[in-house]
Amino acid sequence: MAGSTTDADALTRQLLHGAGSGYAPWRGRCRFREALAEAGLPAHRTEAWRHTNLGPWLREIADWERRPAAAAAGPDVLAPPAVRVADFASPEAPALAAEHLASTVDLVAQPLATVNALLLEAGIAVRVPPGKHGDAVRIGALAGRFQHVLVAVASGADIALVEAPASYAHRFVEVVVGEGARVAHFRQQAAAGTRACSLLGVKVAEGGCYALAQSSRGALLRRNDIEVALAAGAEASLAGAWRLDGRDHLDNQVAVRHLAPGARSRQIYRGVVGGHARAVLVGRIHVAPGADGTDAVLSTRNLLASDTAAVFAKPELTIHASDVRCAHGATMGALDEAAVFYLRSRGIGEAAAREVLVRGFLREAIADAAGQALLGIAA
Amino acid sequence: MSLLAVSGLHVEVAGRSILSGLDLSVAAGEVHAVMGPNGAGKSTLAHVLAGRSGFDVTAGAMTVAGADLADLSVEERSRLGLFLAFQQPIEIPGVSNMEFLKAAADAHAKHLGQEAPSAVDFIRKARQVAGDLGLDAEFLKRGVNEGFSGGEKKRNEILQMLLLAPKVAVLDETDSGLDIDALKVVADGINAFRGPDNVVLLVTHYQRLLDYVVPDRVHVLADGRIVRSGDRSLALELEAKGYGWLDD
Repeated sequence: MAGSTTDADALTRQLLHGAGSGYAPWRGRCRFREALAEAGLPAHRTEAWRHTNLGPWLREIADWERRPAAAAAGPDVLAPPAVRVADFASPEAPALAAEHLASTVDLVAQPLATVNALLLEAGIAVRVPPGKHGDAVRIGALAGRFQHVLVAVASGADIALVEAPASYAHRFVEVVVGEGARVAHFRQQAAAGTRACSLLGVKVAEGGCYALAQSSRGALLRRNDIEVALAAGAEASLAGAWRLDGRDHLDNQVAVRHLAPGARSRQIYRGVVGGHARAVLVGRIHVAPGADGTDAVLSTRNLLASDTAAVFAKPELTIHASDVRCAHGATMGALDEAAVFYLRSRGIGEAAAREVLVRGFLREAIADAAGQALLGIAA
Repeated sequence: MSLLAVSGLHVEVAGRSILSGLDLSVAAGEVHAVMGPNGAGKSTLAHVLAGRSGFDVTAGAMTVAGADLADLSVEERSRLGLFLAFQQPIEIPGVSNMEFLKAAADAHAKHLGQEAPSAVDFIRKARQVAGDLGLDAEFLKRGVNEGFSGGEKKRNEILQMLLLAPKVAVLDETDSGLDIDALKVVADGINAFRGPDNVVLLVTHYQRLLDYVVPDRVHVLADGRIVRSGDRSLALELEAKGYGWLDD
């Protein structure tokens, strides 16, 4: 139920014939326009958008596109000294970013990436040199409704990447993990009365390791597309926790692609959904021909905290190789009332007992204490 | 004065009568055992004292230190000084034992108008008590009862009892599933706890725990009532003869 065809077509035409944002022209526009012309924008018939009504978002964009962006402040980014960070508008950005720009996803399959590219207002390129970096790269607010963050991590580097809560209409984050490099990526999505879409594209080279820990609070509309591609012997761990209430709508569409032999992936999602909120998790595992010895696991569990909450969870496996281990599980339920009684019998008030249990449940996804602290679900 | 008093208690579960006129009075400093055959209502008594939902009190009264439990919630009963050691403690993955213990201690402190214990002090104390029960420091970091052996779960109940220092401790089949070494450790914990200002109610099917925790009184619960009370020799008699002779 994405948007009506009219909304989608109207914005597509507007973008194809419009001037675009004019920001960081080195990025080029042709390939984005071509991809948009080929794919069009998602309408309600698009399978990947059947759970989310994108219409209001499309109309917001169509309206915004006619108005100039607000005056921009500089990007809020902190990084260790050895890490290079450049605004897309700065002269050094092309050298830092051109090689990998929009390289992590298929633009035809991710049409919002083309909208992002054509309307881009803020972008930063981050290049992480080899070696272990003690401090994290912290990315805070970026001044613009359409944002692009490109992080290229050199072979053998080891770094943490922290995305603080930020507002945007669409944020495209790309993480290119070099051979044998390690990246720990923390994403915090705060509650918001807005419509925010994001796309995270990750490429992990041979022997590289990428770990995502993401916590999401609700929004009027929050859509997270995540695409992870794994080379031989690469590893990915994706952990997601969400907590929704009221009329929140969260749609997570995740695809992990095992492209070569011996890669390993773990996906674990835990969600608590109350009020009239709606949570969607579609978790895809693709095993390409020849990706023998793939080891992939996906687990998703949701707690329904009200009778009016709705959850749609669907693992999807596509396997074109042999000697593959793929496992998935999806469950849904309510808080264990015996556990609530147990906590209350120790003097813990009912509301506090439920809160303790909810946090404990979410922490099943984010097991690491530092991650829990960063994501606001620590003990 | 009785720290724990139950009078004329009638309890129904789903319309079926489980307790029918139960009387029990335990004075400060005393340990009482409630014994009885399976299905006599022993666990019902334990849970109805703690305030579990699903048990309908149709008549009678329960008091702790003179305070009527009738209108008190589960957590209020705990803060008042009532503790139930569960026969089957609940596993709570994702919540560490320490977090759970601290949350309970904080709730009790708040009720008493005291400042919550500092994390450092509380951890030190919890480690020490856990050590006395043969549980190492790692045990406190694990999820509540998650993957604990039967003996560890029961020791964890005793740990909670010792940290919360209730006025009335009701131990529901705490001896079940314990090997002899674990039984002794648990008994040592109960003996360390018992004192002039509290009472312990041991709810048990077997008398072997009573070899290590010597009760002041033994009651036999059958058909929803206390049908006989006596001293420790009553427990030994039950062990020798079983529960069948009570019907005679």
